[in-house]
Amino acid sequence: MLSATAVRTPLHDALGASDAALLPPEDRARALDAFLTTPSGRQKPSRFWRIDLDTIAPDARAIAPNAVAVDIQNASPRVVACDLITAAREHAPLLRRAFGTSGAGTTKFGALARAFAGTGAFVYVPHDADAAEPIVITYTMAENSAAFPYTVVLAERGARATVLERFAGGRDAFVCAAVEAVTEEGSDLHCAAHQSLDAGARWFSTRTARPGRNARFAWTSAEAGAGLAVLDLTVAIAQPGIDAGITSLFFPTGNQHVDVVSTVDHAVGDSTSHTHVKSAATGAGQARYLGTIRIAPHAQGSDASLRDDALLLSKRAHIDSVPALEIGANDVKAYHGATVGALDEEQIFYLESRGIERAAAERTIALGFFEPAIDRFPTEALREELRAALASKLA
Amino acid sequence: MADQGLRIANLHCNVAGNEILKGIDLMVEPGKVHALMGPNGSGKSTLAFSLTGHPQYQVTKGTVALDGTDLLELAPDKRARAGLFLSFQYPAAIPGVKVANFLHAARQAERPGDLPPAKFRALLLEKMDLLGMDPSFMGRYLNDGFSGGEKKRLEMLQLAVLAPKYAVLDETDSGLDVDALKAVGECIAALRASDEGRNTGFLIITHYPRILQHVAPDVVHVMIDGRIVKTGDADLAHRIEREGYDGIREEIGAIA
Repeated sequence: MLSATAVRTPLHDALGASDAALLPPEDRARALDAFLTTPSGRQKPSRFWRIDLDTIAPDARAIAPNAVAVDIQNASPRVVACDLITAAREHAPLLRRAFGTSGAGTTKFGALARAFAGTGAFVYVPHDADAAEPIVITYTMAENSAAFPYTVVLAERGARATVLERFAGGRDAFVCAAVEAVTEEGSDLHCAAHQSLDAGARWFSTRTARPGRNARFAWTSAEAGAGLAVLDLTVAIAQPGIDAGITSLFFPTGNQHVDVVSTVDHAVGDSTSHTHVKSAATGAGQARYLGTIRIAPHAQGSDASLRDDALLLSKRAHIDSVPALEIGANDVKAYHGATVGALDEEQIFYLESRGIERAAAERTIALGFFEPAIDRFPTEALREELRAALASKLA
Repeated sequence: MADQGLRIANLHCNVAGNEILKGIDLMVEPGKVHALMGPNGSGKSTLAFSLTGHPQYQVTKGTVALDGTDLLELAPDKRARAGLFLSFQYPAAIPGVKVANFLHAARQAERPGDLPPAKFRALLLEKMDLLGMDPSFMGRYLNDGFSGGEKKRLEMLQLAVLAPKYAVLDETDSGLDVDALKAVGECIAALRASDEGRNTGFLIITHYPRILQHVAPDVVHVMIDGRIVKTGDADLAHRIEREGYDGIREEIGAIA
């Protein structure tokens, strides 16, 4: 058990070095206890999946302020984009409107990220500001470290922005990240992430959004790296008129394990959500996906779709996909579709008949499989980066 | 050269354990148009797939040589690079693979590095115009959500862009309206008039003679029950148009 003193005491001791202006010590201690006592909610180890997420914890000795470096690029004069510690000192009232308000801290790993929050980024897009260029946040993790990158985004009424996060480095590191996105009426926020950590890293990412009335919001998330990647993507729909999207793509190769949970919670009606998941696995790669759409009894007029396609490229690869639609209202639209399969021999033959070698044909088809999801990511530069990352997994 | 031509000799082919081709002899010379006609189920498409090397079509006997190269020894991609092209009756849809990228990959595979990108693009646009295809086709996913006519036009575009030594067109005319059929005819005529396609030999598989009004055949073969039962000139196609296949069945029945 994680509540055992041997785990608990050193982690509580490690909290001492954290920034008190960002979060007081008693709040951090509470968050850490929540991490230690909250179940992961994930399935137990099975024949394919051998990692128990309920007993996993960082090594307290690896926790250090320099475990992660952050670089923030912003070209829009009206947008505030700064590191989290600076935000706690210079923009505290703004930060308080978003930090800790999206529900990220209620999950096991979200609570851990909150407990050790320090190095991070704060993005504030004031009302009606239109950030034409994406705000780019790059986190680089140190070797053998325990790192807790934390991003907070606040988009006011009518604001428009794209936030692009990259996560890299982290050989043998334990990385526990959180993103909280809080938006107001009529805003349009797109938060994209590309995780390409070292294959020896363990990666936990909690991304929660609370969009405003009539807002557009999108998560796009690509898991390319890390030996273990555990992702939790949530959109809490508590206002009408929201158009929310979740796109997740992952491709475990070698011995990589990927565990993705997406949740769209329609607590209020007359909002739309669409979830798209594309995954492939090869080598002994393992993945599991749990996609939940929850429509509350009074959330009439909700329109939710979930589309999940998985491609198995080797005999030892394994992908478990579990859609869960919990629908409490009667006047709603809810769609779910899922496929799991191997490459199609007729498609391969068609490309071969045009002179393309079988291996290249297989690569082309597998990359094409991801393309509709890649298309949803912002900027051609990122899309090319993702294509290259996927292609290198197929090489 | 003496061994030029697509030479098919005593070809037998099984599908799922059943013998469909029962000894096919046929030779398509460079630059010539052969029509292969026959009723549904006679084995025409089986011949097309066995030539291109589809894994479910088992050749049990016979030889196929393309300008002297033994095709049956080669994997499907190598057959294509040797100069064989099949226009599919039902081409596969491949979501996520853009038409432009696919065409470029195919041209590169079959004719490596022969055209700089700008010239390749110009070639594409020219051929698409000929086929009445909108340039927006280039950005669509390969055959994904295409109508039957759009798929056939894309097959013809590939024929035009790849300019193979030998082209097998499997029921390219089926399901096409008059305008599309005319466009297919013009595309083939343009290829045959070009430097690249002057020597392309055609095997046009069809069960209706109407495509042959647009592409005049030098030789017409009739296939029934896995065998070529009659070979003649364009008049044979006209006879089939008048009489259907029953007349030929009676004739060969009488001989047998």
